[in-house]
Amino acid sequence: MDSISIRGLCGVYAAMLYAYPRDFRRQYGASMRQVFRDRCREQRGKSWFAFGLLTAADWITSVIRERRAASAATVVQTGSGRKLIQEWAVTLLLFLFVTTTMVQAYVVPTGSMENNILIGDHMLVDKVGFSNTGNNWASYVLPSRQVERGEIIAFRYPVDVSQTFVKRVIGLPGDRIHLQNKQVIRNGQPLDESYAQHVTSYIDDDRDNFPTAAAPAAFAHHVQDGDVVVPPEMLFVMGDNRDNSLDSRYWGFVPRDYIVGKPLMIYWSYDATTPELATWNLAHIEDVALHFFTKTRWRRTLTAP
Amino acid sequence: MPKPAPAATLLPLTPPVFHILLALADEERHGYSIMQDVARQTNDALQIGPGTLYGCLKRMLAAGLVEESDERPDTELDDERRRYYRMTDLGRSVVRAEARRLADAVTAARARLGLAGGK
Repeated sequence: MDSISIRGLCGVYAAMLYAYPRDFRRQYGASMRQVFRDRCREQRGKSWFAFGLLTAADWITSVIRERRAASAATVVQTGSGRKLIQEWAVTLLLFLFVTTTMVQAYVVPTGSMENNILIGDHMLVDKVGFSNTGNNWASYVLPSRQVERGEIIAFRYPVDVSQTFVKRVIGLPGDRIHLQNKQVIRNGQPLDESYAQHVTSYIDDDRDNFPTAAAPAAFAHHVQDGDVVVPPEMLFVMGDNRDNSLDSRYWGFVPRDYIVGKPLMIYWSYDATTPELATWNLAHIEDVALHFFTKTRWRRTLTAP
Repeated sequence: MPKPAPAATLLPLTPPVFHILLALADEERHGYSIMQDVARQTNDALQIGPGTLYGCLKRMLAAGLVEESDERPDTELDDERRRYYRMTDLGRSVVRAEARRLADAVTAARARLGLAGGK
């Protein structure tokens, strides 16, 4: 984290201070900014995401507390309804900014990542961590890092960008990959994939031995000596439910820019009978209303995928 | 100068207030130094952010538990704008009373739960 990014973060924090009552901000705003800056400087090596959550939680709770204290103190002074609305509007705007730019909620409609991600898992995706593509204002302001092998990512499905898929990163640019009887071999090394599951025992040639002559055209210029070589700025991804996953083997690489983010937390997991829960149709609402408590997978709630 | 309330009426203290007072027990500190010390005291279990810190300090100043200090102990690496806080006598007696109260609570808990007594 260089000093430019810290300055950017401090700018965001300075803006967040406007949510506090004016008197409190005047009295302590400068000190709070200073504390925040000190804290950022000592952050190196530790999780920026945890720091962000902590700061957001601190901000929300203390804004509410100071607001309440201030309105209790000024209620006699003026009928300041308008001021109150003004100040809350700032808080609301910032809240909307965070929920649309930094995290987003998704629901999983397929079982391609079983048994790590199930149909009906509702999860929050961190949209900031991988936003460092260089052509984005956020890359100057927000913490970012590179994708790693074995990580689960959410990304736009290259064949239909309106869909968001969740898979595991198997190959980074330059990696050489092939599958031999279901076993993934990366750069000559067989992978030990404890996260993968196989639901069928027979060998399906295009699925379990890859690449074959029938591999998609996307790989035509990227096969060398029986290995698929991941080109620059691309990723090779697969689902954990290997025998039942529509992944890179069938439609090609994922461009780096198509990454949406990293699944952070499952906030609700609902054992739905149909995959139609991506849209809130009437049958689904009825199903949830009747079976919310019995069909919610409580053990998965608030876990990281 | 607010009228010093008897220590007992201010109890129990919230965890942030208690640990901020402990941080100021042996020296004057500025905001960030308080924050670091609270994290150290609690092995990072309690990490207070700037909003909580200054909200607490505001109320602690009003209650007369702490006061702003004019001296600047860290003269070299210091910044003009930094404000230092020090614990008042009232603050000291309140944090002592709170520590006693917590000790009593722990004793009671040990007796009920059959945990091993103080090693």
